[in-house]
Amino acid sequence: MASSLERRTFLRLALGTAASLGASARLAGAASDAATVGWPNDVPSWDPNQRFIPDAQPVFKAVFDQPIDQDPQLRLIPHLIKSWDLAADGMSMAVELRDDVTFHNGDKMTAEDFRFTFFERIKSGAKIDTVNSMRKVQDIVIESPTRATMRFDSPAPTMPQWMAFLGSYVVPKKYIESEGLDNFLKKPIGTGPYRLAEYELNSRIVLERNDKYWGPKPKLARVTIEIIKDPSARVAAIQSGQVDCTINVPVREVQRFEQDPGFVAEINPITRVILVQVRADLAFADKNVRLAVHHAIDKAALSKAFYGGAAVPLSVFATPGTPGFLSDFQFKYDPDLARQLLAKSNFGPDNPVKIGFATTNGQWPSDYDIARAIVQMWKKVGIDADLQVIEYAKYFELNRGAKLPEATLYSWDNATGDPEIFSGYQLNPKMPFAPWKDEDIGNRVLALFNVPDYEKRIAGYRELERYAVENGATMPLLQSVVTVVRKKNLAYTKYGNGWLLPQTLQWS
Amino acid sequence: MIATVLKLIARRLLAAIPIMLIVSALLFCVLRLLPVDPAAMSLPPNATIEEVEAKRREMGLDRPLPEQYLIWLKDALHGDFGSSIHFRREAGGLVSATLPATIELAVFAMVLAAILGIGGGLLLFRLRNTVFEAAADLGSILLLSIPEFLWGLILLFVFGVMLRWLPFTGQVAPGLPAPHITGFLLLDSLLIGRFDVFLSAWRHLILPATALGLAFSPPVMRVLRSSLFDIYQEDYVQQARLRGLSENRILLGHALKNGVLPTLTLAGVQFGILFSGTLLVEVIYSYPGMGNLMVDAVRNADLPLIQTIGLTYCIVVLVINTVVDSLYVVLNPKLRVS
Repeated sequence: MASSLERRTFLRLALGTAASLGASARLAGAASDAATVGWPNDVPSWDPNQRFIPDAQPVFKAVFDQPIDQDPQLRLIPHLIKSWDLAADGMSMAVELRDDVTFHNGDKMTAEDFRFTFFERIKSGAKIDTVNSMRKVQDIVIESPTRATMRFDSPAPTMPQWMAFLGSYVVPKKYIESEGLDNFLKKPIGTGPYRLAEYELNSRIVLERNDKYWGPKPKLARVTIEIIKDPSARVAAIQSGQVDCTINVPVREVQRFEQDPGFVAEINPITRVILVQVRADLAFADKNVRLAVHHAIDKAALSKAFYGGAAVPLSVFATPGTPGFLSDFQFKYDPDLARQLLAKSNFGPDNPVKIGFATTNGQWPSDYDIARAIVQMWKKVGIDADLQVIEYAKYFELNRGAKLPEATLYSWDNATGDPEIFSGYQLNPKMPFAPWKDEDIGNRVLALFNVPDYEKRIAGYRELERYAVENGATMPLLQSVVTVVRKKNLAYTKYGNGWLLPQTLQWS
Repeated sequence: MIATVLKLIARRLLAAIPIMLIVSALLFCVLRLLPVDPAAMSLPPNATIEEVEAKRREMGLDRPLPEQYLIWLKDALHGDFGSSIHFRREAGGLVSATLPATIELAVFAMVLAAILGIGGGLLLFRLRNTVFEAAADLGSILLLSIPEFLWGLILLFVFGVMLRWLPFTGQVAPGLPAPHITGFLLLDSLLIGRFDVFLSAWRHLILPATALGLAFSPPVMRVLRSSLFDIYQEDYVQQARLRGLSENRILLGHALKNGVLPTLTLAGVQFGILFSGTLLVEVIYSYPGMGNLMVDAVRNADLPLIQTIGLTYCIVVLVINTVVDSLYVVLNPKLRVS
């Protein structure tokens, strides 16, 4: 940690000096049909069905296609699937595929590939994460090369959302079966707007435009993705002109780039929520304590201090613009009310309630600093929190063994914006992300997993979200942000979930 | 001399067997006792608790630790180091794909550290009893206090951002092929006759290798200077002076040969530390080596991969120590006799 602080301090000073010396790159980025992007993580594998890694999705979306896509406002839109019809009971979904799609090797994409991806691979025992997302798929019946029906063993109301979510990319059946999976991983082909031209593990991904793409052709013929894991190095890369665009740079660097006319720097709120996860027992068995803990947090101050005010304070576990968001519900910051609630349970500044509070350090921007600020806010009203730093990997072990403390600071990403993947997963006692183990809320959540009607399901989640917050079962804090720095004449399409897709890049 | 060196290597190989067993057992136990759940890490977010438990059983995490170790050892002896949780590929394959880049980087860094260390040590010694001695001392202490990652950032900032003389991401420029014959890019580029690739790879290697070299040269400098101080107390140095040899000839022709021996031992130890120092430097420079892979492995609690990389580090250190000891035998006649 000392190292990390030294590095940060050094780089802040160094880059500040560069700016003052006028050494920063004010490259106009001459019109070109190529661009280089500084990206924080490599893909874990070139099998897009294999791992659910949110950061890898924009890269996969360049090479592969999903059955259903999302528009910038995150609404589901047809993609490889021209139309879909989820049965009223949620037990089947008929799909119609496009008939003008080819893989990068020229093979036509058909319903056989769709069945192979979402059923045959699952049943074959392949070690891929879609085994979990497609676990309800009982069969996929092919009716014609462009028509198929997915059959489920229980209602699957969020199947359309999952067709546009993590890991759901159609892969070529014939190519994988004839060449073998190993060769597919070495030379992956998809139906996407770019083909993979070069790949060096943990170093570089070079994409070349697929001129036979069925959809809108990308403006840039070549996009190079430099894997630069260190945020300071990403800042240096954009500053020096070695990359044209990068993401996830520190907020203070964004504020510095904002002063530089050669760059556009953005802090964009996305469908990621920073929240305090809570247990239903220990000191939190007392509802007064839970609500006091929540009322004592000044979310606007946290946003201003750590995200330049760009992170939207939240009252429910859903982000603005998503179906589960409640614009008419406010859970107010009220330290006086927090004190009153604590007093009802015989706690106060002189007799503070003691709780444990776990946080990661460096897992996502400012996590530890936010936790420390919250501890100070709590102290003022009579909550004495023992701050414990845990590794992200340790989180699962602690949660599995019910060893997490009363409160845990967490960041939850949900590119679809669907409430099931927000509150449904966080409050489902059968899932590994739910420290809250309670029959009342648990049963409400489990019931919603089987509601096939979209409107009823969304209404159910909206009701659940309010109920969960009012009962202190969840404490959403802020809508998280993604930072983007790009040359001023390199444009891209902004998505509500923070995607920066290579196919949307263009020079102006 | 060759027989002595061969005997030494044979002895070292024999000793390496129990060392590797102990290290592998230690690594295995320590990693399994860490409070992480690799089963949960290997499953997607919507996996149920039952699925996590099933995965734990599948990974053998529910068995007694000694049994787990013996299964792992048996597989490892057959060349199977397990499958990476994060990459879902053979851990051994991932390590062998990235190890050459790290060796290339570490070797060049060590050569640089040796040049800077020996050159600096000689300079420090020559400046003794002069008005520059205090300044040189201060300079060497200052160098000693700067860790490799800070050198990495300083060099990146100066030569990459401000002057823009050198690239600082990756191993070769985009658009150029990265041939995979031996895995050593500099060598492979020459083997395919691509001097442009060689030049590009060389340019990409300069900053990370220099960062490491600068960080590891100061100890060599200071040990060499101390060693030379001792040697200058020996009779043969005085006799050389009486014979009228110049100070430079005494230093370079006589004292250095003996003075460099302790630095050789130090270099062996330093190489092991330098090798692990590649971890941060590779991340800063997006260098596709084993250090970069280790960061991924640790971040994802990828126990099979951490274990394989840990063992590889151990093997590299053992090999380097054997090479250094062999060199010691070659350079020191006393050891050959004994």
